[in-house]
Amino acid sequence: MTIVRDRVATTLHALPGKRRINPILVVVVAGAIIVALTYTLPAFRTYQLATVGAYFCVTAGLTVLTGLNGQLSLGHGALMATGAYTLALWQNKFNMLIPGVIVAILVTTAVGAIIGLAAARLRGPYLAGLTLAVAVVVPSISSTFDGTFNSDQGLPVALNPPPESILVEQWQAWVCWIAALVTVLALAYLTRGRFGRDMRAVRDDETAAKLAGISVARTQVLAFVVSAACAGLGGALFAVLSQSVSPGAFPLTLSLFLLMAIVIGGLGRLVGALIGALLLVALPAIAQEIGQSAGSQRLEGNLALTFFGVVLVVVMIAAPGGLTSIRLRRTKTTRTRNELKQKGR
Amino acid sequence: MSTPDQGLALHHLTVRFGGLLALDDVSLRVTPGRVVGIIGPNGAGKTTLFNVVCGFVGAQAGSMTLDGRPFRARPHHLVRHGIARTLQGVGQFNGLSVLENVLAGVRSGRKPEQQAAAALERCGIAEHARQMPATLPYAVRKRVELARALVSKPRILMLDEPAGGLDTDEIRWLETLIREADTTVMLVEHHMDLVMSVCDEILVLDFGKPIAFGPPDTIRNDPKVTDAYLGAAA
Repeated sequence: MTIVRDRVATTLHALPGKRRINPILVVVVAGAIIVALTYTLPAFRTYQLATVGAYFCVTAGLTVLTGLNGQLSLGHGALMATGAYTLALWQNKFNMLIPGVIVAILVTTAVGAIIGLAAARLRGPYLAGLTLAVAVVVPSISSTFDGTFNSDQGLPVALNPPPESILVEQWQAWVCWIAALVTVLALAYLTRGRFGRDMRAVRDDETAAKLAGISVARTQVLAFVVSAACAGLGGALFAVLSQSVSPGAFPLTLSLFLLMAIVIGGLGRLVGALIGALLLVALPAIAQEIGQSAGSQRLEGNLALTFFGVVLVVVMIAAPGGLTSIRLRRTKTTRTRNELKQKGR
Repeated sequence: MSTPDQGLALHHLTVRFGGLLALDDVSLRVTPGRVVGIIGPNGAGKTTLFNVVCGFVGAQAGSMTLDGRPFRARPHHLVRHGIARTLQGVGQFNGLSVLENVLAGVRSGRKPEQQAAAALERCGIAEHARQMPATLPYAVRKRVELARALVSKPRILMLDEPAGGLDTDEIRWLETLIREADTTVMLVEHHMDLVMSVCDEILVLDFGKPIAFGPPDTIRNDPKVTDAYLGAAA
């Protein structure tokens, strides 16, 4: 047995493994780049950078749910709204940001757990239907309980000003990116371990997963909870960025944008989630500029959705695995070429 | 030496799917260390019997015991009870590498990678550890599933048509694996040479009803089995 084990260990170590980059290193480098950008970019671009950070929290959680666990959610906009409103209510009462963000995450996690319990019993279009209903219902709650949520007007978010030496946009970018990088680091470690393996196993074959001893329902609920927590954090950050929350900020199209963004970026990959977050900020901004130059406000409102649709179609034709798969394919080709060179062929 | 209570026992199991009687009063005792074959024509209820044991299908009547205690496991608790099962075809996680596929089956113990690597080595597929299953031949993928079942070190290994789609060499390898498995094996299989060579006892089902039970030689010469399934050539 010992001989077999030794041989096994030797075999495994001799095999060419996937080169994995240390997530901590990535986060440190990304953090340094973000800090540098906040000192070099103009104020509006720094604000956009902060928005990318807030979106990144949501897309990273959604790509874990949809890409790694195979659960389709059309309701993440509503989960963001839950986080945002929770933070607004907390801030207006206590004005303590960090505990407020934690409470927003916890409340959204609880909502996500409830949806997740139902979602674990549903598949495909039925699951999409459930989450779609959530996306429609949650924002309308603000109209029903207008005494608390102030209907369509929404709520202001009380925030202490940043230190005088720091620009508001800089402070916002730091807050959003600290949250985003911590989220991504946590997700990177979570998905690399047993939980990540279980999620992918459940996605690929539920019957085989059960026979391997994996609780399918528990894994699906946990995946939803993790994803909801990320959406809650993202929503809270949006409340910090806009210093107000209203149902109009979390329409149904936001949920669709989020889903399209992670598909375009590359499902199940955190890099894909980052690309998705960038697109979520860049495409509406481009649409706005085109709409403004055309002098049509109606065009401006619809162009973003059109852009997303066109980009989705083009990317799916060119690279069905999303934009990250193009990068991987190139890397593989380059590696093969290098190997052939080394062999002198 | 096992006591009469040890092992898995099925008592008068009956399963109906609407108007179809899939299992009709089936009883079976699976003694530890034995290889028990379950054979019969297509639709005889062999896989349904496996599904009842695994908790995928509930029996309308009858009961099961494991080591003398009432047994009714949920599928994901089977491993905890020391039962592992393979599926017809290949139940595989195509998004995981071969090594990760086997690692998914490790639910306890230390050094899961070592356990998985040992299972891969035992199934002769260690060199494919980092590859994705979809890129491998069918026979190798079958072995991956076997390795995932074996990695949990089961007391009872349930194999559902493991020889399906395999060539003669692969079936010979499978035969050796079953013989050397050092565990109880329940085998649903249509490959009669394999069944007759490895099984200690065979249960024959026909239209959900047990028509014969005994050692291979008895089964081979049983006229009821010949009529229902094996034919005169057997």
